Amino acid sequence: MNVLPFLIIIPLFGAFSMPLVKLISEKLRDIWAVIISAVTLGVATDVFYTIWKTNQIVVYTLGATTPLGKGVGFPIRIVWEVDLLGALIAVTIAFVSLLAIIYSLEYMKHDTGLDKYYTLILILELGMLGIVITGDIFNFYVFLEIMSIASYALVAFRNDTWEGIEAGIKYMFVGSLASSFILLGIALLYGQYGTLTMAYLSQYITREPTFVSKVALAFILGGLLFKSGAVPVHMWLADAHPAAPSSISAMLSGLVIKAGGVYAIARILFSIYSISLNIKAIGWIVIFFACLTLIVGNAMAVVQTDMKRLFAFSSVGQIGYILLGIGIGIAAYGTKVGDVALAGAIYHTVNHAIMKALLFLVAGAVLHQVGTKNLNELSGLARRMPLTSFAFLVGAAAIIGLPPLNGFASKWLIYESSALYNPFLAAIAILGTAFCTAAYIRVLFTFFGKESEKVKAAKDPGKAMVIPMILLIIAVIIMGLLPWQINDTIMLPTAKMLEESGKYVLAVLGG
Amino acid sequence: MENDMGLIVKTMARATIPLIGIFGAYVVSHGHLTPGGGFQGGATIAGAGILFLVAFGLNEAKKRYDKNLYSALEGLGGLAFLGAAMLGLSVAFFYNILWRDKIAFAGQPGTLLSAGFLPIMNLAVGLKVFTGLVSAMMAIALFRRWKK
Repeated sequence: MNVLPFLIIIPLFGAFSMPLVKLISEKLRDIWAVIISAVTLGVATDVFYTIWKTNQIVVYTLGATTPLGKGVGFPIRIVWEVDLLGALIAVTIAFVSLLAIIYSLEYMKHDTGLDKYYTLILILELGMLGIVITGDIFNFYVFLEIMSIASYALVAFRNDTWEGIEAGIKYMFVGSLASSFILLGIALLYGQYGTLTMAYLSQYITREPTFVSKVALAFILGGLLFKSGAVPVHMWLADAHPAAPSSISAMLSGLVIKAGGVYAIARILFSIYSISLNIKAIGWIVIFFACLTLIVGNAMAVVQTDMKRLFAFSSVGQIGYILLGIGIGIAAYGTKVGDVALAGAIYHTVNHAIMKALLFLVAGAVLHQVGTKNLNELSGLARRMPLTSFAFLVGAAAIIGLPPLNGFASKWLIYESSALYNPFLAAIAILGTAFCTAAYIRVLFTFFGKESEKVKAAKDPGKAMVIPMILLIIAVIIMGLLPWQINDTIMLPTAKMLEESGKYVLAVLGG
Repeated sequence: MENDMGLIVKTMARATIPLIGIFGAYVVSHGHLTPGGGFQGGATIAGAGILFLVAFGLNEAKKRYDKNLYSALEGLGGLAFLGAAMLGLSVAFFYNILWRDKIAFAGQPGTLLSAGFLPIMNLAVGLKVFTGLVSAMMAIALFRRWKK
């Protein structure tokens, strides 16, 4: 039996049963959330392994065995279509979500209303998993909204703090505007072509490329750039990430901007539009925003004094690298350089999810133990919280891209391909990394500086907060030790599979 | 604290709340036959709840509202929907096995007991929407006062 629907069923079951489980006992509620997310990780790994082994796109139809209608040649049902990229991101989502939930067992202990918290965190995971497996564009919108609304609520979860409410309101107002742009784009496509299945839409647009399809793409791309935190519309991110509880920041920064933003951009550009449009122009539009994001995000990170805000701007900067890889992958479609850039972008998506989750968990530990995230008050933390400081050291080194860690290989692929494609882009990428290095060195010096009054009584947090950090450190180091093996066996086939939009169409419509 | 309405409004509410509730239940249970369905019917029934709160006041509503019960029922509604969707999992998620294999709710199309799992799903959605809306409204009504 196909396990794919359980990727949705299990988190949904967990979220719906949470109010009932809570009635039994509070302890059980926490364990229940951990069990549900652990089983989800198992299912996601199984789906990934199957697809990776067979190198085939998995199509699952809701409600029947075939997506095609009776006697007609076009799909009439919702299909879920998972290729290697979707499965890879699904595994990352399930992994980081599990660690964030384990982490919140201790981190959120002092908050109230925790049954809502665990319900929302499972719904957030569900929305992201839905985005990466769906092959229907309206279904994609529904899952995008599930993810977005859960994250609005989670950003404002600590509603007794002014910053939580402020960030939540800002995020919700502009986020709903961005979602409605996406919905408008989808409505235009449906009005023009009369179908919502991505594969069939792709075939249709190729056959009759109209002006409406370009307008729709502009709306959808605009909305998705917002969701990924690209530069002219990154302002929500810099408020939302510091205000959210740290376990949520780790998920927001590691996963939400990837699944709802970068993944969706890649999916829509490559699987729906890649044959019909002047892809070189689209590629350069993405590259333009990528360069802007790189410079502004990393440069703003240098001047921050709030640790979580610094990490948030650094996330904006890293999204710039991923978008740069995707942009070059589109602009140099079908060449070796394009393959390498796209593989680098996918690799960096996974890497950044892991290392930024690690950094936000560190920030949460510091905030939890010391009670401040202002960098001016935190000097000399390394002696009192050695393990946390070590975790920060690993995360910071990985994000800058030091060779034995995982950030090196993915950034190298992006540098290499951008240098081959256009040396000017490589110069911008290097400049971004220079800013990024400056930002993290500053934090590092704070951690290892002279001990201040505030940190005298601090000590490392308990097991439930330390174990997720250790698991992420292990992931960073292992992925750093086998960079080219991972690239050749996973990332390059994933990029290849994403580029072959013909296969994506045929998987649904049949050959 | 006096926060209920006058005698006329209360008497009218006593008469109309059951009617609104019955009409909502009708819309939910005939979701597969007539316009409307789980969401519309559930929202209608929640309208009866809002009328109760407005007419009889917060103190009266507080006595009759149990937070745990409503949140458990909301979860139950979701679980029932998910369970109905999983019935035909041996073929596909959301496969309407009740209707296709004539197990239950498999009467002549157009009659009440037709359409397979659709009536079950409508009931589940109606329950979820009703309890969810009433809970949200009570939470807002019970929110701490303007000053303090």
